Amino acid sequence: MAVPLIVSQPTAELDSVTEVLTAAFADVKAAVLVERPVVVLIHDGDLLGQGEVVAASVAAGLLGLVRALALEGAKAGWRVNAVSHRGDEDARSARDIAEWLAGSDLSGQLIRVGTAHLGKVWP
Amino acid sequence: MSGQAIVTGAAGGLGRQIAARLGEAGHRLLLVDLDQAVAETACELQNTGASAGAVVADLTHDDGAAAVATAVREQGGSIAVLVNNAGITRDARVKNMEEADFAAVIAVNLVAAMRLTLALEPLFADGGAIVNMSSRASLGNFGQANYVTSKSGLVGFTRALALRWAPRIRVNAVAPSLVDTPMTQAMPPEVLEKLVARIPAGRIGTPEDVAELVSFLSSPEAGYVTGQVVLACGGRSLAA
Repeated sequence: MAVPLIVSQPTAELDSVTEVLTAAFADVKAAVLVERPVVVLIHDGDLLGQGEVVAASVAAGLLGLVRALALEGAKAGWRVNAVSHRGDEDARSARDIAEWLAGSDLSGQLIRVGTAHLGKVWP
Repeated sequence: MSGQAIVTGAAGGLGRQIAARLGEAGHRLLLVDLDQAVAETACELQNTGASAGAVVADLTHDDGAAAVATAVREQGGSIAVLVNNAGITRDARVKNMEEADFAAVIAVNLVAAMRLTLALEPLFADGGAIVNMSSRASLGNFGQANYVTSKSGLVGFTRALALRWAPRIRVNAVAPSLVDTPMTQAMPPEVLEKLVARIPAGRIGTPEDVAELVSFLSSPEAGYVTGQVVLACGGRSLAA
């Protein structure tokens, strides 16, 4: 099995949002085109907009990227997924799940670690 | 609430209709676009009785946002409504999508909206409303990795700004699907027919459909709605 690409949510300022999302696209594109599974780690609070506006925009953008590539690569067997977590207390679980996801046939999934998202919208 | 309503991408079919609807609601309009035709749009709306000014600005640069802020001050009063509608497409399958085309779409559809909104913060009236034009495609779409990322990013921006600026300003997003604009009219009829067949409502959306929703979210009637994404897609987001 190809070594998975695990992408952590990059930090960004307003002026670097384009750059970091484009870099993420380039990395993910390069991986899927050689059938390397991809898992993107996202901060769950950012998906709900609970942090800084730039971080929230990047987090949601990355989730969109995951969905777009999973949809486009469904027939080709691209495996692109996302795991969201709340930080240090969930980070290990998130990593474990990311590695499991990368070895599975699943694609286009968002797995949310922890319970803080319960009762909130699904991003 | 009346007061100034700013609509970006106002030279296009959807932006023009949104502006017209907000004009009917009693807002003084400030139309913004990179396309100089926005001045003609303002004249057309003036002829219908609306108060409308126009700014030609490139919102991908700080100068563009500053030009809009200057125009707001010149028109006088504060901002009641901002509709971030400006957007572009550079569609391609992932394997053929150049990084430059990915970046261009992010810069215009997402970052320009963020830059303008944040720059205008001091000029908003209490009780103001922002509507970000996202897309049903933010949930995923073929051949639009850049567009999907940008419109999904706008959803994140909407949520975060709604929390940050509450209770002073409400922030929501509208996510249309296929809308009858010059862009869709240019599609091959057989392609358009296939796309419409996947819409439970049985028809393409109209600019009026979307403008009405934007107007509602901008109005005091939606005063308890913030941080939400409202899909205007004829049920497309649910159908198989």
